[in-house]
Amino acid sequence: MCIMKKKPIKAKANLNVDFAGIKLKNPVLTASGTFGYGEELAEFVDLNLLGGVIVKGISLTPMKGNPPPRIWETPSGMLNAIGLENPGVDVFLTEKLPYLRRFDTAVLVNIFGYSMDEYVQVAERLEGVQGISGIEVNISCPNVKAGGMAFGTDVHATSELLSAIRKATNLPLIAKLSPNVTDVTEFAKAAQDAGCNGLSLINTLLGMAIDVRCRRPRLANCTGGLSGPAIRPVAVRMVWQTAKAVSLPIIGMGGIMTSNDALEFILAGASAIAVGTANFANPRATLDVLDGLESFLLEQGVSKIQDVIGKVNVR
Amino acid sequence: MPLNRLSKATVLSHKPAGRGYYRIVLNAPEIASGARPGQFVMLRVSENLDPLLARPFGISDVPAKSAIEILYRVVGKGTTMLTGRKVGEKLVVLGPLGRGFPLPDKGKTLVMVAGGSGFPPLHFLSQRVGCSSHLFLGSRDRECLPPTGILRNFRNSCTRVHIATEDGSMGSQGMTTDILNAFVTKLERKFNIVLCACGPHSMLAAVSRIANLHAIPCYVSMEERMACGLGVCMGCSIPMKGGGYKRACKEGPVFDAQEIDWSETVSLPFPQLRKQVNTSER
Repeated sequence: MCIMKKKPIKAKANLNVDFAGIKLKNPVLTASGTFGYGEELAEFVDLNLLGGVIVKGISLTPMKGNPPPRIWETPSGMLNAIGLENPGVDVFLTEKLPYLRRFDTAVLVNIFGYSMDEYVQVAERLEGVQGISGIEVNISCPNVKAGGMAFGTDVHATSELLSAIRKATNLPLIAKLSPNVTDVTEFAKAAQDAGCNGLSLINTLLGMAIDVRCRRPRLANCTGGLSGPAIRPVAVRMVWQTAKAVSLPIIGMGGIMTSNDALEFILAGASAIAVGTANFANPRATLDVLDGLESFLLEQGVSKIQDVIGKVNVR
Repeated sequence: MPLNRLSKATVLSHKPAGRGYYRIVLNAPEIASGARPGQFVMLRVSENLDPLLARPFGISDVPAKSAIEILYRVVGKGTTMLTGRKVGEKLVVLGPLGRGFPLPDKGKTLVMVAGGSGFPPLHFLSQRVGCSSHLFLGSRDRECLPPTGILRNFRNSCTRVHIATEDGSMGSQGMTTDILNAFVTKLERKFNIVLCACGPHSMLAAVSRIANLHAIPCYVSMEERMACGLGVCMGCSIPMKGGGYKRACKEGPVFDAQEIDWSETVSLPFPQLRKQVNTSER
């Protein structure tokens, strides 16, 4: 590692954020499914520097995922249909979480189920476990047949599911909303009424690509979730609409590559942000965003990040 | 941290290599010192947003102590853009990644099988082995074979190079797996052979069957689309015999051919078509 001695910066911007009762040292998180369980990218990123890690989605039992091809690159983005491959909650708790506990960073566990009962059982297993700061509920994965987006695109199902999980856990509960709906604020309100403490938005947009010569879909699953900078304007718009509609704090995500991208979300009303697909293109993306946020505050003469949240000027 | 696998590498040389291939040499001392045959790098062809992702390339040689060589064919947007990168420019490169081929002991006979554009990692392997080695090359026609300079290198390092083209424009006419099978069948000391192969999944499946038939150890380098190369995107899944998947970038790209569920690998998106292919293969 080439260590460049930086000139000591006298003024230091305050990047602390209180998100849904979770103290984050800064608003930079990793989006679920793009950072594994922390270990794979720890070679490039000192996890102690991050606000938090949102781990890859965990289900009650191990899931093997979809057959390949699972990914396809699109203009300024990518489609994926991984199918929530994961080792299951028990293996997560015994083999993955102990590694993350070594670091001074918030750990948010993304959970997923095929039925309401499965979601509730995963949440129950996480209750009282040391080293977990909160639960992010994935009600918006477009790549599995049952569960996932089936909950997240029906307001009543969203409401019922989140209320049931709320009863099962005292941990801060964050609902990850689907962008594949006409009015995302209805779902945000349902999450708020169900007792959630925060929101994550957005998950991927349902998409498709076709190999014209073979006349076949590029993905074995036919459709997949679109992510990357291609979806950022949609994500910023949804965060802005939602921030006006509910009082819950929001983790903004969707194609964040740079600190300026992150600031769009923060100005639109996100209290924290998550870097996703950018981790694939640049394993150090989270730290680049973090450095950029600090420089922005210093340049602008703003002492703390909290003074920027939701401060987009619309007139 | 043992090694900094993310770096900016200066282009030392970049030229067409013939038959539609380009040869790019990058100054990457840490990758060069750690690289093993079969390993790969992720290369960003530009730092813009389109294309967004880095591309995986097998390392084809370590031509100097601090340099790596990549041989690539122009197949799409990414590789087209890569041809425009000039000597002196810097490219973001991540590597060495994945698990490479095992290096056979001195007394063994290495039999390499390359199909299509799968030869670069085997080129690196041929430069590193100390035992006798054979190369089986297969392609549609003469023009789809590796560049002549690369063929020359193989001829210098290998005991023999065996070529099969589908149209018979060079070497024997037919599939490389046919001449491979004939060669292996004739050999007396089969227990001494180690097979290493890289190419289309259908060819690797056939090589694996031949290895099975003769009880020869066989290692295959599996190419699959990947976004990160580091084991987090879970995009490059290879189906395993016991069920489930392993990541080409992390547990591979070189796998023991016995581990792989070949009925699932033929890269057709529809399970029902995959079944048809598997039954019609015999």
